Amino acid sequence: MTEGLRRLAILLVLAAGLAMSEAAGAAGVARATAYEDAMKAVAAGNHAAALPLFESALAADPDDLKSANEYRKAVIRTKEYDRAIAFFDKLTAQHPQAAYAWLNFGYTYVDKIPDAGSITQVILANNALTNFSKSIELKKTWIALFTRGNSYLYWPKIFGRAPLGVADLEAAVAISQKEPKPRSVHVRAWIALGDAYWKTEQPEKAKSTWREGLKLFPNNLELKARLARDGDDLEKYIYDQLDPNKRVDTNLAPLWEGE
Amino acid sequence: MRGVRRALLVALLLLQSPAVRAQGPSASPPSPPIRFEEIGAAVGARMQHHTHKFKGKYADVLGMFTSGGAAVAVGDYDGDGDEDLFVTDSDAGRPNHLLRNQLAETGKLGFVDVAKEAGVAGGNDERTIVSDALWFDADNDGHPDLLIARFGTPILYRNLGNGKFEDVSVKAGLTKFGNSIAVIAFDYDNDGRLDLLFGNYFKPVNLIDLPDTHVLPNNLDDAVNGGGVTLWRNVTAPGSHDIRFVEVTEKAGLAKHTGWTLDVGHGDLNNDGWQDLYIAADYGTDRLFINNRDGTFRDATKEALGGLDTKKGMNVDMADFDRDGWLDVYVTNITDEYMKECNMLWHNNGDGTFTDLSKETGTCNTLWGWAAKFGDFDNDGWEDLFAVDGLRSAGKENYIPVLLEMIIKPGVDFTDVASWPAIGNMSWSGLQKKKLFRNLGTLAFKEMAAEAGVDNDRDGRGIGLGDFDNDGRLDIYQTNADQESLLYRNVSPGTAHWLELKLIGTKSNRDAIGARATLKIGGATLIREVNGGNGYAGQSSKRLHFGLGTAAKIDSLEIRWPSGLVEKLETVSGLVDHITTIKEGSGVVK
Repeated sequence: MTEGLRRLAILLVLAAGLAMSEAAGAAGVARATAYEDAMKAVAAGNHAAALPLFESALAADPDDLKSANEYRKAVIRTKEYDRAIAFFDKLTAQHPQAAYAWLNFGYTYVDKIPDAGSITQVILANNALTNFSKSIELKKTWIALFTRGNSYLYWPKIFGRAPLGVADLEAAVAISQKEPKPRSVHVRAWIALGDAYWKTEQPEKAKSTWREGLKLFPNNLELKARLARDGDDLEKYIYDQLDPNKRVDTNLAPLWEGE
Repeated sequence: MRGVRRALLVALLLLQSPAVRAQGPSASPPSPPIRFEEIGAAVGARMQHHTHKFKGKYADVLGMFTSGGAAVAVGDYDGDGDEDLFVTDSDAGRPNHLLRNQLAETGKLGFVDVAKEAGVAGGNDERTIVSDALWFDADNDGHPDLLIARFGTPILYRNLGNGKFEDVSVKAGLTKFGNSIAVIAFDYDNDGRLDLLFGNYFKPVNLIDLPDTHVLPNNLDDAVNGGGVTLWRNVTAPGSHDIRFVEVTEKAGLAKHTGWTLDVGHGDLNNDGWQDLYIAADYGTDRLFINNRDGTFRDATKEALGGLDTKKGMNVDMADFDRDGWLDVYVTNITDEYMKECNMLWHNNGDGTFTDLSKETGTCNTLWGWAAKFGDFDNDGWEDLFAVDGLRSAGKENYIPVLLEMIIKPGVDFTDVASWPAIGNMSWSGLQKKKLFRNLGTLAFKEMAAEAGVDNDRDGRGIGLGDFDNDGRLDIYQTNADQESLLYRNVSPGTAHWLELKLIGTKSNRDAIGARATLKIGGATLIREVNGGNGYAGQSSKRLHFGLGTAAKIDSLEIRWPSGLVEKLETVSGLVDHITTIKEGSGVVK
């Protein structure tokens, strides 16, 4: 197990509230309480009230993926993107070594993209990449490499960013292959890596990647859909998947659910 | 939720569609082909446009931001029964062109440039840039006058009726500086005199002598530091040739719009007999203003359009594309590899709201859009659409990656000319094929520019539609930035019937701008409104053109004049396949 995955596993355990040990200390208690209160507000449909509570939880544990994930969901519901951007800006300034805080900072920009104008979208996408890169500099995790690699694919070909996506996604797939057993969330990297090859004019490599992915994840509909298409049909399908005007699924829950 | 509502609306409209009910002219037509041939050079109408060449440190960037100015205005200025053309140029010292149509005189379509003799060639100098032109009868004397919009002060030429024009701009009070890119004439207060609405791109600073370089958009999706619009009320005394205008922008409630206006359009959007406005703005939201019928407008953008947009509005044209009796609005935006905005085809729901059906109808993508005009090119009774596109076709290098570096630079000041990289000989959304959308009458359009022969890849700007050879088929004049213009003669085969109406107002403004003709035929109702210059950089003919399909007779024709008079023409048998003149209060006069 890599250091990154070990850290992730620890976080997941924490986030699931399964190990509120004494060692977690006061900060951990504060985080858990704030998180629980935030989730109660969400359950009551009061997403606006949940925002400061999630922020308290994250202030206590900046690397908490689960709190950050739920926070961003509430932000999307309330469209309080600029508040969240300001929050993560401050959080990462206070905790520059918090790799997952940087990752979620990047995701916050991505979450805003569908609600922004076409030129602002470019600026937001670029800011997201900057923060994903900071996260990777701190820790080369599967989720960060997949995220940045996948982000590159949304950029029009003219900007030449797809080859950078290939590199990140190959690294993400390599990390996932070190796992003793495939995790369902890892299928995303196989799909994206195929898309990256396709966007860099390597259609055969794309198909073989999707086929290889399908061996590991035989029920995956997205892989099947790509393999069932060719030529213009496939192009239309992929561009449709990578449409920046559509909301990108940035929900990280599959990392700790459905394993 | 909005998507679901839109799908439901489309389903409902389809059920109600005249085409689905198989009524009206060519309801489900075995469509004859649409064909055009380009004859600009052969008939003396091919004109080279030159954008203004700025001088100094920021010449390159300012040139990039002002790459319009190639405009056309269609109008019968000499009253001889054929449509003439006024075609603009924009660089210092370059003359504009008044192309007199010789059809009536010789029986053959041909144009002669008489701008110099007429006294209307000027307007471009070191400090001003011609950007748009408009024929309108400012003093209701039956001789169309000529308005030239400029980055500078406008020029109003009074038509003396003898082939000559007199510059009356100063006497008329049109002395206010503006960076105007669009102008329309319409009678906003229904007092029988044509008023002027200017669409202004930059705020009113002289770009040629910049005191401060912070003149560019303060936001690329939501800019509020543009020139907005200026409304001028025509206060010319009845019967006088002493044309006078006074500015009423603030009084009319239009001063709060401070966007980067690229086009303005008018039409009666709520069927109350008063002209409403749609303003297309670059770098931010368009605006829809409803006429309060008391000399003011109210901003209905949010409730009518469902919110504010962030797109790059370039063009406004209006027509009832689905024949439901309500004018719809077509706006072009930018859709390219790097920017996926999609155009807007605002379907008028008839209840004060509009729904964008551009995706559903197949009219979403016209690349880097400029002008787009509705017109029934195949005379089947359904309004088709022609759209031009393309920003800058130059060298092989693409400006977009260079521009990206600026856009993503942290803290960059977009307003500062100095922040923008020079474009040099780079291309930017160039070599784009034009689009011709045939209206299938089923809430769907089919793109067929190549088949029709109009898929040129020039850097299009304006469109002027008119029946230049009086054969009942709509022809197209296309202007292009820094390139030659094109004239497409409609040579579509087929035997579809048509009629054209030239309306003359008496109590209403003489051009009858704002008059609505409602034609009933075979159970279908077709409406057309006379407009005073809708569409970016192009004024089409004021004659109303109806395609009738296979119908050789019409059931009824009604004219609703801006004065409020509604005239129903009882004798309509002789109108088919003819150009007919109708005078307010007198019926058919020619």
